[in-house]
Amino acid sequence: MKSKFESSKVHFKRKRKVEPLINRLIDCPIGVKLKVLRVNTGHHGHHGHHAKRRLANLGIIPGVQIIKRKAAPFRGPIEIIVKGSLLVIGRGLAARIIVINENSE
Amino acid sequence: MQINKTKKKQNTKPNKVKNIINIALAGNANVGKSVIFNQLTGLSQTIGNWPGKTVEKMEGHLNFLGYRFNIVDLPGIYSLSTYSLEEIISREYIVSEEVDIIINVIDATNLERNLFFTFQLLELKVPMILAINQMDILRKRNLELNFKKLEEIFKLPVIPVVAVHGIGVHQLLEEAIELAVYHQPTSHYTQDGKKIHDKLSHDDKKFKNKLSTKKTFKFPDLSSILTYGKEVETRVNELIRNIDMYPEYFSRFNYVSKFLANKILENDEEIEKIFKANQETPYIIDLADKYRTELEEIHGEDISTIISSEIYTNIHKIIEEVVIVKGRGEKKLGWADKLDHLTTHSLWGYAILILILFGIYYFTFLIGDFFGGVIEDFFEVLSNIIYDIFGEDDLGVKIFWEGGIGGIFGALGGVLVYVVPFFLIIEFLQDSGYLPRAAYLMDRFMHFLGVHGKTIIPMILGFGCNVPACTGCRIMETEREKKISIALTSLVPCAAVMTVVLGLVGRYIGITWVLILFGINFIVIIITGKILNKVLPGQCTELIMEMHEYRVPNYSVIAKQTWVRTKEFIFKAMPIIVISGVLLEIFFMFRLLDPINFILSPITVFWLGLPAITGIFLIYGILRKELTLVLLALLANSMGTTLLGLLTPVQMITFSLVTMLYIPCFATVVLIAKETNWKYAIQIAGLEIGMALLIGGVVNWGLFFFMSF
Repeated sequence: MKSKFESSKVHFKRKRKVEPLINRLIDCPIGVKLKVLRVNTGHHGHHGHHAKRRLANLGIIPGVQIIKRKAAPFRGPIEIIVKGSLLVIGRGLAARIIVINENSE
Repeated sequence: MQINKTKKKQNTKPNKVKNIINIALAGNANVGKSVIFNQLTGLSQTIGNWPGKTVEKMEGHLNFLGYRFNIVDLPGIYSLSTYSLEEIISREYIVSEEVDIIINVIDATNLERNLFFTFQLLELKVPMILAINQMDILRKRNLELNFKKLEEIFKLPVIPVVAVHGIGVHQLLEEAIELAVYHQPTSHYTQDGKKIHDKLSHDDKKFKNKLSTKKTFKFPDLSSILTYGKEVETRVNELIRNIDMYPEYFSRFNYVSKFLANKILENDEEIEKIFKANQETPYIIDLADKYRTELEEIHGEDISTIISSEIYTNIHKIIEEVVIVKGRGEKKLGWADKLDHLTTHSLWGYAILILILFGIYYFTFLIGDFFGGVIEDFFEVLSNIIYDIFGEDDLGVKIFWEGGIGGIFGALGGVLVYVVPFFLIIEFLQDSGYLPRAAYLMDRFMHFLGVHGKTIIPMILGFGCNVPACTGCRIMETEREKKISIALTSLVPCAAVMTVVLGLVGRYIGITWVLILFGINFIVIIITGKILNKVLPGQCTELIMEMHEYRVPNYSVIAKQTWVRTKEFIFKAMPIIVISGVLLEIFFMFRLLDPINFILSPITVFWLGLPAITGIFLIYGILRKELTLVLLALLANSMGTTLLGLLTPVQMITFSLVTMLYIPCFATVVLIAKETNWKYAIQIAGLEIGMALLIGGVVNWGLFFFMSF
């Protein structure tokens, strides 16, 4: 049965965008299962490289599943669950961790 | 003594002195290493430094079953790369002659991450025992581990431990004895193995071999778990082949070839130096560079990610084989989770943080004031006795009793009684797991100062006393961050400073100005942070921190840790306080400081608007900041007036401000010099004096002009 809202429904559907599946960790919602794709660090200087290596030692490597648990207010650090334990990562670094929504696979 | 006897007669019973086993405890942070260390070494612990470095070295010893165990508790680290000084020191120490056996302490509730470090240790091929701690918490979660399988996989002793209850701790030492005597590990789960374990406990346990344990130990073949993918392995093997062409050179460094190969492939800076220090071996570096580029091309990732990936893949297989889920499945501890959410909540988290800060303060002053009073009264009673015997003006009495012993009592009653309850509560917060949550909440604000969240911890400590706070800055990962943290921490008003501010401004003027002064202090901290950030080269690193589940704090652990910190404070800070006290007493006696008042008066009188006599008091304040107030009060007393009669309100404000900001107390300066270097300590002192004088003068003249209208 055609309802008078039919046209507006279609209109609504067209407006709704598909959420991008690949995202920076800081842009992801809380509680969703995510998979790490890569960690971007600058090629220049030691600091970026050290952070990446440190993350790798702690298990943040491509393919690992993580869950974003919390984000501190005032654009503070991010809390994630990885390999069964809690890790806190500064915001600047979290912005360089690229993840994909696990459920989309 | 006995050593000579053994040299002459080779056939007598081996000397007890020679039955020494040197152990190093290695593992991640917060796994319970310190608990095990405390259990084994108790009060014999000493804290020193690794030679030439600013990293803490915790050593202790005990005698057990006829052996003398020397135990070193290594810092909690996550890998053996060159990310930090702790890692470099640890790995060099582990392979050195000074260590016979390592005990790898593993947190059962965090097995995957902990095993990553285990794999790093295995690469060194040093005799090793795996101690899996916190089994009680694991079992509460309805999980269990298959220890038989673990021993099959690792081919080394794997012992379940509950360190806080002392379970399994001494068994670790028994295992160490076995490894030393039998030169190879024996399973606990085979018939033959059990027989050997039994035999040892009835045997007359003595070393059968005079060579070091390391050299005679047969390290098991762990290629089944330590092997990486084929592309990596072929290249590593080629590097090993090249390294093995120079055995005399590389044997000097105590590292096995596979370790060297892996590290040079990973671009390890310290290992690279080894290859460069020789005419013939630098080409291996080029070879490793070539292989690294090839591997990075193949995998599309950098080398450390590739290697970490491989290791975690192998670990994952092990986890699947050894973790047993019991009953209805894994159970998470509810209260810890809820508490975590509460303490990191966007609103309640901060409220709780502020409450805790006040709580620390209140608790510290409550206990400190009480015992301080007791000690003061005690000293007075004794003083009266001394005065009765020797008279009050006797020179010896002045220098020895008032300066020396008085200094000791002053340090005890004025500082230690505050420091100890402070340590207690900090250790409580540390053991329960709260401190990382505080760092998490404060990270954003700390970045504003140029450091990251962890700095909040020494800064909180700084509210009690700057001396242990500056020591606490060791938790910083880079030298640069440590320097900035130390400078900022030394600006935090300690208990002594608070005494002056509250006793002067708080008492005679009002709470408003107290808050204003704190506000100024806070702004100074921010400005200092900004300045140091610009001046010191490098960039602030990002926060990466493991947050452990909340747990019920263990009281014996807290007590022991508090004692260790107190001992450190007594032996480092107090001697300085007491000796300087004696010296200052002598100066005061012979009026050697009078010319100083004269020299300083342009600054004190003109610029700061203070009475000339305060010059000396501020000099005394360098020793212990509350002395500035104490001496003022003494002066007022001797002049028959109160502090109000001595200083105007404006002067009180200026005086308190300068006391707050100028040079940190002398013990702190010495500590800063020890933690960094004298040049930096002097620079910081100079900076702080400069700022104190500048702001003090501005406030003085500002108020002067303001009040003239």
